[in-house]
Amino acid sequence: MTLAAFFSNFLRFVLLLLAQVFVLNQIAWGWGGRAYLFVFGYPLFVALLPLRTPRPLVIGLSFLLGLSIDFFSETLGLHAGALTATAYARPLILRSLRPRDGYNIKARPSIADLGTGWMAQYLTLLLLVHLLVFFLLQTFSILFAGEIAIKTALSLPASLLTTGIFVLLFSSKT
Amino acid sequence: MGRLLRIILNSSGLFTFLILELVCVYLIVHHNDTQRAIWAETKSVYGSYFTEQLNRKLAFLDVARENEILRRENAALLARIPGSGYDTSVDTLQVADSLFQQRFTYLASRVVNKSPYGPYNTLIIDRGSNLQVERGQGVVADGGLLGVISEVTPRHARVISVLHLDTRISAGLDNNAFGTLRWDGRDPRRVTITDMPDYVPVAPNDTIYTTGYSNVFPTGLPIGTVESSLPLAGTGSQNLTVVLLNDPLQATNGYVVRDLFKEELDRLNTVR
Repeated sequence: MTLAAFFSNFLRFVLLLLAQVFVLNQIAWGWGGRAYLFVFGYPLFVALLPLRTPRPLVIGLSFLLGLSIDFFSETLGLHAGALTATAYARPLILRSLRPRDGYNIKARPSIADLGTGWMAQYLTLLLLVHLLVFFLLQTFSILFAGEIAIKTALSLPASLLTTGIFVLLFSSKT
Repeated sequence: MGRLLRIILNSSGLFTFLILELVCVYLIVHHNDTQRAIWAETKSVYGSYFTEQLNRKLAFLDVARENEILRRENAALLARIPGSGYDTSVDTLQVADSLFQQRFTYLASRVVNKSPYGPYNTLIIDRGSNLQVERGQGVVADGGLLGVISEVTPRHARVISVLHLDTRISAGLDNNAFGTLRWDGRDPRRVTITDMPDYVPVAPNDTIYTTGYSNVFPTGLPIGTVESSLPLAGTGSQNLTVVLLNDPLQATNGYVVRDLFKEELDRLNTVR
């Protein structure tokens, strides 16, 4: 990881943390006095880490980011747990989406390097894992499988839209 | 060890993930009310179920110890039921009379054990040498005879029953004719008197008494009634069939007869 990459990721860490805590966490839509739609932007940090980042580092950084968000949203361990699981699943998703001739050594997970279609699939799978684990930890029981499914189905498009906008913003920046 | 280390390093991502995920679950359970409640509920439901299953599977490991405990408890409980006590109160019948000096004393005893019915009946009473019960003393019961002491321990004594093939007791009629009482091993209600001279007139329902000549029983204790007499040709004697007054097989109590003059009489017997 070069110095520039380090700084850009650090900046992304801070910006996504602030965006999630101060903007996206305020969005919660639902009916009957219960919220079903949540917006998640911070999984983008895990998604945009360089492809060859050591796996323990990815997991450790995502744990830190999740824990930071938890501190501000008073759900200690919830975001951290979900994002840690997402970080663990990232290499598996990357392997399943590998192009025919493998990843270029210098490739970064971006639209410029791997294309819009690949990026959309990548983000969808990553967010799907993240949302499932998050809502599982939130309800904390497999008995609420229906609730988990509804929440995931509603939150996935919203989160995908948000992260897509962020990707376009960040890619224009770097 | 090196291989193990390499495995851990190779799957460092997995281990990092597992450790951090456990930390997260711990934080969730300890800092969020909803999840804590669900966790407590789940733990109480499945925890008790698993504990129950485990205990059922492992119950046999404890059986030996449980058995030992139960055995001790049984022993303690059995020791407390009334039948397991040894009666230490002494019931000796003794009369102080200036005209008649006491010769025989009677010691009350309970029958604690009986041999199964057969030709050689014996029984155990709960009085022994601690209370001067000695070999050769007689035991009377229910208005009849029970037997003769054969073995003595400090607290118990064995009695050879009247219904024993080896029993020999001196018995006679009230006209001082006497013979030997023995049992033929057949009918527990009837005994036989042998060696009774055949010139002695005997009528059915005559009462048979102890003679006291053997220093085992006092003189004149009723034993039974004559049922029939059978003169034996050529021997000059007759056999009497006697119906016993009591049933020695069903005796539960017995009085041990102690002859206070026994020592003196024995001294006479040794002089030639």
